[in-house]
Amino acid sequence: MRNRLLVLAAFVAVSVPQLGSQAPKRINFVSCPIVQDTATVPCWLSEYEGEQYYLGIQTDISAEFDPPYLGHQALVEGIVSDEPRICGGIVLKPVVVSPMPELDQSCSVIRPAVPQFTVPFAPRPPGPSGGRLAFDPPPSATAGLKPPYGPRSFELFYDVDMLVMGRHSGLLTDIFNYAQKIPGARLKVSAFRGATKLSNGRVLTERPGISKARAEEIAELFEGAGIARSAIRLISRDDAEAADGIDDWRSRRVTVLVEP
Amino acid sequence: MSPARSTVFMMAAVVGTSVLLTAVTWSASVAAQSEPSRRWWSPGDGRTLPATLDYANSDGSLGILNTAGAIETKGHPFFEPIGTNGRACVTCHQPTDGMSLSAATARERWRETGGKDPLFAAIDGKNCPNLPQDDPASHSLLINRGLIRVFLPWPPQKSDGARIEPEFTIEVVRDPTGCNTSPQYGLTSSTPTVSVYRRPRMAANLKYVTAAAFGVSPFIVKNGQPAARDPETGALVSMNMMADAREPTLRTQAVSAAATHLQVAGQLNASQIDRIVAFESQIYAAQRVHRSAGSLVEPGGPPALGPAALAAGSTGTLGNNTTRFVFPIGDSWKALPRTGDATADARNAFRESVARGHDVFFFRTFWIRDAMHINSVGLGNPAKRTCSTCHGMHMTGMDTVYGWMDTGTTNLPWAKEAPVSPWTTETAELPLFKLTCKATVAPHPFLGRVIYTQDPGRALISGKCNDIGAIVMQQFRGLAARAPYFSNGSAQTLRELVDFYDRRYNIQYTDREKEDLVNFLSTL
Repeated sequence: MRNRLLVLAAFVAVSVPQLGSQAPKRINFVSCPIVQDTATVPCWLSEYEGEQYYLGIQTDISAEFDPPYLGHQALVEGIVSDEPRICGGIVLKPVVVSPMPELDQSCSVIRPAVPQFTVPFAPRPPGPSGGRLAFDPPPSATAGLKPPYGPRSFELFYDVDMLVMGRHSGLLTDIFNYAQKIPGARLKVSAFRGATKLSNGRVLTERPGISKARAEEIAELFEGAGIARSAIRLISRDDAEAADGIDDWRSRRVTVLVEP
Repeated sequence: MSPARSTVFMMAAVVGTSVLLTAVTWSASVAAQSEPSRRWWSPGDGRTLPATLDYANSDGSLGILNTAGAIETKGHPFFEPIGTNGRACVTCHQPTDGMSLSAATARERWRETGGKDPLFAAIDGKNCPNLPQDDPASHSLLINRGLIRVFLPWPPQKSDGARIEPEFTIEVVRDPTGCNTSPQYGLTSSTPTVSVYRRPRMAANLKYVTAAAFGVSPFIVKNGQPAARDPETGALVSMNMMADAREPTLRTQAVSAAATHLQVAGQLNASQIDRIVAFESQIYAAQRVHRSAGSLVEPGGPPALGPAALAAGSTGTLGNNTTRFVFPIGDSWKALPRTGDATADARNAFRESVARGHDVFFFRTFWIRDAMHINSVGLGNPAKRTCSTCHGMHMTGMDTVYGWMDTGTTNLPWAKEAPVSPWTTETAELPLFKLTCKATVAPHPFLGRVIYTQDPGRALISGKCNDIGAIVMQQFRGLAARAPYFSNGSAQTLRELVDFYDRRYNIQYTDREKEDLVNFLSTL
């Protein structure tokens, strides 16, 4: 009961525009992630203002949910769902979790498996799979496209203050492959510095210069993959976009426009 | 010995891959290879390399399989001293040692030749070229750990020689070899160079190492960086060769190794490269007989064992699943009868231990934590997984592609270091570097901004902070023939290897789990 009240208290603190009774209940906070072990794969949780939130489970590289890191706080940006709790946590769905770059060794909690916390679904066990990845890979962003190939825009989203990571490789490949289909293709890379309005009213803004670093890195990556540097135009906006607490994770992005 | 007599001698040692090997015939064949001078392949020996060959080791015998059949090594560029220092490729890729080089073999070679063998060439068979050549202490890393000096330009360079701006600075904290602080060979020399010391890798089973299948992409799935390509064909490559994946293909590796290790004047010609690559692509090596398990290649036995299984296996396959398995060993050794015959019962007990060891490797979960390029690729930190998560390639236990990870073998605080106290005389053998990630980049997610390492690994090639101490996984085959283990030779035995991981990940193996795991590894 107490937990339920705390949840309500947390909702009050959520800083989102009131769009009526159907408005999703958003919550954005920075806190330590917590591992809750189970008899199968571990759950990932986080606590904010006395309530516990469920973020996701460990699966494999095919999952949309990228578990965070102990040893780091994480920015959690999610929508409170009305699904039954998992591993004791209120389910955030969808949720975007971004490890903060600096180490924080206070984030170290691994809770042992207990009978009351079970994972209702486990697309793969903690060890070897049954012969397939946990999830079907998402379709390629360029699948099924036929010529003529016109201008096409792609968006890469980033962790806070971070550059490209392994999970971007699929989309980078899509962009690269699409550019390869167009003789003389040109790439316009627009990079942004993100900001997130937290539920406590504070705005978390990425470090200055991150947009330029992202733009230059994207150019280097495509150049390294074989696209002429002269075909890549860079634009970086270092004034962080206004944060309103609604899907602010989208502000940590690079847009790549591929055009003939 | 004349070539003809040598051929006869070698043929006597040949063992058919599909023949049920009895203990008697095994003993006879491996005994024939036991005399040190016959075990060692000197450049220019001119011997015949038969289609199959067995060499005794402390756990039984290693099998070599040449799928192209017997070859004459006379005139073959893998076996001839084509460089200026008397070495050949075979110098550091000895059939006896699973086409690698054990520290025991290096020691034996020093004893036999008084250090005159080209193996001990100053360029990299010595801790630093400026040390006294005849002093065994000058070659201590090769003799004690089987390590070859690998010298790399600083800052890193692209394949076209262009400078890579590193994300970190590097300082030499400890320099027991003197090479990294040498005005002639070190970081402050006119050609700034970093010397690290690494084990020669197996020049066998390479179809697995070079296979570009599962996970290959224009951008590396571990870090999003552009993947390397074959400079001749433009095809994407696996980036699974060498400790730091610095060479994309066997062909470029041959050229590079000839220039550095063999000190070839000029360049290899196309024919030499072709023959070296062809040979490397047809050689398989794995343990074939175990002193306690007996034949590892009996019909109906574990299907992954022995070199013929490697030759027949599928490449580019993820084995971390219960359909393909990393090392498919089947169920035939899981529960074996006891007959009252002490010898047979002991063999069966050992075989059951091997089967249990496989299951420890494959199914025993633990928390994998702070391991760069595994915890950072969508599993989270920590991840509850098993050995086969990182060692997932079918038949070899490497990673399928882009195989560099930091499992802690070279980075502190996990890398093995000599204790420093008033009561110990053990001294550090390896250099220690302090790497500081620049303020313009994010710190390493698990080690922070300042990292101490014995070998920066992939980072010396990529210049990336996140690659510090990341080393390409090695094959798990022929292990009994080629101690010590890890790229820096820090585990002298398989038990030390298992103990390292037990400490590193707080696995809390039981004694029996450790013994089973060691037994399993010793049969690969």
